[in-house]
Amino acid sequence: MKTIFKFAALTLMVLIVPVCGFSTTKPENLERGIVGPVGSNVGWSGYSVVEQIPGAGLIPVTSTTTVFYLGFTAGTEADISGMTLYTTARGSSTITAVTPVKLGGVTNPSIDLASTTVCPVAEISTFNPCIVRLDPTTITLSALNDYYLVVYFTASDSNNGTLGLTSPSWAQTSLRGSYITGNETGLAVGGAIPSSLNFNSQPYMLMYVMTD
Amino acid sequence: MKTFYKLATFVLTMTVLTASVFAQEPAPAVTVLANLTEGQGIITSSGGQSWDGLSELVLIPGAALMGAPSTTTVLSLGFTGGSEADIGNMVLYEVPRNGSTVIKVTKVELGGTQTPSIVLTSKTVCPVQPVSVTNPCIVKLDTIKSALSPLYDYYFAVYFTLDTNNEKISGVGQTASQGALSGWSLYGDQTRIGAKGALPTNEDSDQAPFFLAYITNE
Repeated sequence: MKTIFKFAALTLMVLIVPVCGFSTTKPENLERGIVGPVGSNVGWSGYSVVEQIPGAGLIPVTSTTTVFYLGFTAGTEADISGMTLYTTARGSSTITAVTPVKLGGVTNPSIDLASTTVCPVAEISTFNPCIVRLDPTTITLSALNDYYLVVYFTASDSNNGTLGLTSPSWAQTSLRGSYITGNETGLAVGGAIPSSLNFNSQPYMLMYVMTD
Repeated sequence: MKTFYKLATFVLTMTVLTASVFAQEPAPAVTVLANLTEGQGIITSSGGQSWDGLSELVLIPGAALMGAPSTTTVLSLGFTGGSEADIGNMVLYEVPRNGSTVIKVTKVELGGTQTPSIVLTSKTVCPVQPVSVTNPCIVKLDTIKSALSPLYDYYFAVYFTLDTNNEKISGVGQTASQGALSGWSLYGDQTRIGAKGALPTNEDSDQAPFFLAYITNE
């Protein structure tokens, strides 16, 4: 009888372990990201890059997290003072929620683009863009909202002066983007996305928006 | 410890019994046809171009995959003219996203061969004759037994043999509603690039493909 009990315990463990250990899901696109070759745009000190993630472009994949991927084409270090995700109602510029976006647990990371740990293929270029995956942001994107990822590159910073961001060559993406001088990462709920911005073009830097 | 073993036995027994009860229900093993990425919309025609000795390369971007569950991939070619398409080879290249260095090469076949001749005048192949822009012939290639990953880009390459049949064929593509696909033509056989090789530069920009029309899970 003891043997039966032991066998049962072992069988139960064998059944439980895979469920606990291998229930991860594979990354999926939440929006159609940047496709095809990329160009480069250099010199971002003191600029905020504002990326639009339209709710109308969401692929119906369920996820409780959202992961942004940024693309760099030149420079040795990106010095970021702030990263924020704003939520608005679809088509509206009024901010309804503000969510911090982080890399390595901070919203003001310095990204060492010369490190092969960060950018495996050195030297980075338009042929070998460095794609940096930010920390997962705990937010479920809704088709009823639009989202704006804002990244502010530290002003008067020589690293950011030579920094190159990916510039899509082709138009086949749901993502849009713009940029503006000054720090736009500190807007609060009730504030507005700057009206001077238009989102007619593909985004600089933002490459993919995925579940993981 | 005895108590633990007894408890484990009890839980296992209950699990087995529960599973048995639910197993009585017929399992819905249904696979629904789904687009893996947005294919071409309105059918036009890439007519006029002579395809003998040319390859078409089509970018299937990982960033545009729509998350449809799939373990297989089916590519469909569309024809709007010609009597026979003689294919010299077909492959699917896997490259890093937004990159051009080949990681892996997968054979693509029709009827179990990479070098099929597609008889466009056959009603078995193209039920509505003659093949035209209004009656395009869509040919499903053999199922590729692997799924596409959003973490990679893929290039489908097809080479049309240097012969007179291929002088007269035309594809469904170059449409304005190209979906997520983009393709271009090149002289010579571009299906022989190996792993770590570099794909040729696309000088035609983001135009719609000529022949590759749809990418589905079955």
